[in-house]
Amino acid sequence: MAEKNYYTIDPEGKLTCMRCGVPLIKGKARFLYLDNGFPVELPVCPVCGFVYVPEELALGKVAAVERALEDK
Amino acid sequence: MSQIQERGSTHVYKVNKISREEMESMVERCVYAHPPFCSAACPLKLDARAFLEAAAAGNFKKALQLYEKIAPFPLVLAMGCEAPCERSCRLGEIGEAVQIRAVEEAAARFGQTQRLGSVFRTRKKKSVAIFGSGLFALFLAGELEKKAYPLSVFCEEADAERFLKSETGFLDEEAFRSELKRLQGMDIQFVFGCAIDRAFIEEKRAAFDVACASPAVREKLFPEAECIPALMYCEDLKLVSGPCSGVLDAAFGAKKAALTVDRLAQNLDPRNARGQEGPVESRLYTDLSEARELTRVPMNGAGCTREEAAREAGRCIRCHCEECLKSCAYLAHYKKHPGLFAREIYNNTQIIMGDHPLNKPMNSCALCGQCTVVCPNGVDMARVCLDARRNMVSTDKMPLAPHEFALLDMLFSNEEAFLSRPQPGFDTCRYVFFPGCQAAAIAPETVKAAYLDLCDRLNGGVALMLGCCGAIGGWAGRTELEEQTRVFLDRELSKLGDPIVIAGCPMCKKELAGHEGLQITGIWDVLLEIGLPGGGHRLERPAALHDSCGARGDEKTQTAIRELAMRLGCELIETDYSGDRSPCCGYGGLAAYANREVAQEMTEKCLARSDAPYITYCMACRDRFARQGRESKHILELIYGTEAGAPPDISEKRYHRLMLKKELLRELWQEETKDMKLDYELNYTEQARRMMDERMILTDDVIAVMDELRKTGACIFDEESGLFIACRRIGNATFWVKFSREGDARYLVHRAWSHRMTVVKREG
Ligand code: SF4
Ligand code: SF4
Ligand code: SF4
Ligand SMILES: [Zn+2]
Repeated sequence: MAEKNYYTIDPEGKLTCMRCGVPLIKGKARFLYLDNGFPVELPVCPVCGFVYVPEELALGKVAAVERALEDK
Repeated sequence: MSQIQERGSTHVYKVNKISREEMESMVERCVYAHPPFCSAACPLKLDARAFLEAAAAGNFKKALQLYEKIAPFPLVLAMGCEAPCERSCRLGEIGEAVQIRAVEEAAARFGQTQRLGSVFRTRKKKSVAIFGSGLFALFLAGELEKKAYPLSVFCEEADAERFLKSETGFLDEEAFRSELKRLQGMDIQFVFGCAIDRAFIEEKRAAFDVACASPAVREKLFPEAECIPALMYCEDLKLVSGPCSGVLDAAFGAKKAALTVDRLAQNLDPRNARGQEGPVESRLYTDLSEARELTRVPMNGAGCTREEAAREAGRCIRCHCEECLKSCAYLAHYKKHPGLFAREIYNNTQIIMGDHPLNKPMNSCALCGQCTVVCPNGVDMARVCLDARRNMVSTDKMPLAPHEFALLDMLFSNEEAFLSRPQPGFDTCRYVFFPGCQAAAIAPETVKAAYLDLCDRLNGGVALMLGCCGAIGGWAGRTELEEQTRVFLDRELSKLGDPIVIAGCPMCKKELAGHEGLQITGIWDVLLEIGLPGGGHRLERPAALHDSCGARGDEKTQTAIRELAMRLGCELIETDYSGDRSPCCGYGGLAAYANREVAQEMTEKCLARSDAPYITYCMACRDRFARQGRESKHILELIYGTEAGAPPDISEKRYHRLMLKKELLRELWQEETKDMKLDYELNYTEQARRMMDERMILTDDVIAVMDELRKTGACIFDEESGLFIACRRIGNATFWVKFSREGDARYLVHRAWSHRMTVVKREG
């Protein structure tokens, strides 16, 4: 059974991995913090596996979840 | 680079650094919940503050509703009450007490509304009978009717009018009519014209669950009966009754009796579950200095006007203690008295699983000790918050995030930026100058000038030690780290020959004074003794002096600073909340790291004391005030005529420390340090610089990302912005840099951000 994704970002071909020379695609990734994990879909390089965390996501959702977990 | 271990997520309980008893004793000390003296003296416990507040606002209806809670017949009580509240009113100590009784009477006259019939009420199952008349019987009937008992009154009087008249001769005609209407509107079964004797009572009471009698009936028919005045109960007769004298005592007796009826109706012992009855002791503290209206408004009973009554009620200063909330921006922010807050914070430390909602509040206190000084009872919130932090650390429940930056900064001060050298030409020294990490970070030129001056004018050699005293680790509740720092500094000091420490910062002085066998003084004391160096200048305008919270309780330091400022020719403004009462600038206790908003409010609170420029003697205060746009000078800047200039950002603060070390090593000790030159060019847009300061991202972090990029080539190109993006995990966070490039060795940073979570690709 597929895991529920907490967040999805589709790069829509606008991001390129410079090392591999290929566009990033919507791929499966997982955030981990203080022994908690969250499946997400983020821009990922299909060749080297580089996962991109955009600024808005880092300062928004990710930061909020971090605060919540820190106070658990 | 140093790193600090993130906390675990398994729930270990190692030590309890805060005991319930300790917390309770703190909570106990805070008197905010104590009643005002007027209410404390009232056996019926009128909420006089709320009552007078409503009356002062001209809302007599609301005032009367509050009064009716203690007085079923408000005019009877108000006109007959002996008013012990007035004798206890605090205003009486400096002027004339509030005429609470007269205001009650006015409220009872002006606040009357059409009373709704009580026909639709559900009555209780158990029924009650009252034998006799008079004040006690009247009040008790009122109390029991309010509680919705099916109630019968057997009296000798021929009608309700005569029943009410008994013992209420002091009512004027209008008041009597008004109370009669009230009585007649009540759901009471009257049996008039009874010949009450023992047989009558025996016969009638059989139909009721509880029987009550007026004091007169009981004394006449059962003179031998023993009653318990506290319960208003004659146990052997199973009769609710007891002695009372006067109007207030009758009302109080009726209150006690009504509670006894409640217990008996449930077949319970009337002795139990009664709570606090009657007048209580209060230790409430009230600042009387704000009282303005000290003389009474003439009020003449029935002739008193609404305006007069409202004005008299308005003289009440609504006694309450909030000395701490008035002075501390942190407590004001959370709007909580320590009596309540301390308990919540303690409870937070006891949560094993689930949310810790008080983490942020607990970490937002400046640990400055101001509350302990302004509180009439010495309540110590710093102790509570610090113990709570230590407890959370020891049980591995303390999040690292709020304090990590500050802790790493402390490690930076004591590793890369640390410097300890005897004065050139000496092996060991008589003194060592310890300016403190913030001084080197914010005003390196001043530190240098001060050190050269001390070397010049003191005999026996003056060593220099650039580092952090360890207060930061202590504030974070990390006792181990604080201890490690202590051991490290002691070792370094012993290499210098255990010199007398000359602290440049009152907080360092306080922290280092805790080291065993260490002799310490402040640079201000030294300068007082050897005199000003020359080259200093005063502030042109009168300036407000801000006392450092590190110098709280250290009168000698506070006086020395004033003396130095005077010798410079400064004109000082003393503000409220100066000296020991001074608030924290927002740096203390790492408040600024855990809660920017509260720290900002602390700074504003400091600056609100005066419009003048500020003179400080802690570099952190100087920095926070200047950041807020206020002209502020550290006393050493004035003394040495050095200008620290615009407040540095977080990266500049690190750079300053490194450069100061490098410069002094080269100039004084002829030691060259390796230049950490990058083999590429890295620039920042102004926006990027601001953003990094805001987001606590150092240029060092960016450099680490770029180094990695140059090694691996891993980065992405964002078509939309035309910029490149690279990242690197450093310690407990991942840093992202968005940049443009010119060729292979020139980068311009546009944006930077970070997050603490790790992210991995997942299969499937
Ligand atoms: S000053 Fe504050 S802490 Fe002290 S008794 Fe009053 S309300 Fe409580
Ligand atoms: S000033 Fe007001 S609150 Fe204080 S004791 Fe007097 S009546 Fe009560
Ligand atoms: S910030 Fe200072 S005054 Fe306020 S509660 Fe904490 S120690 Fe007390
Ligand atoms: Zn790739």
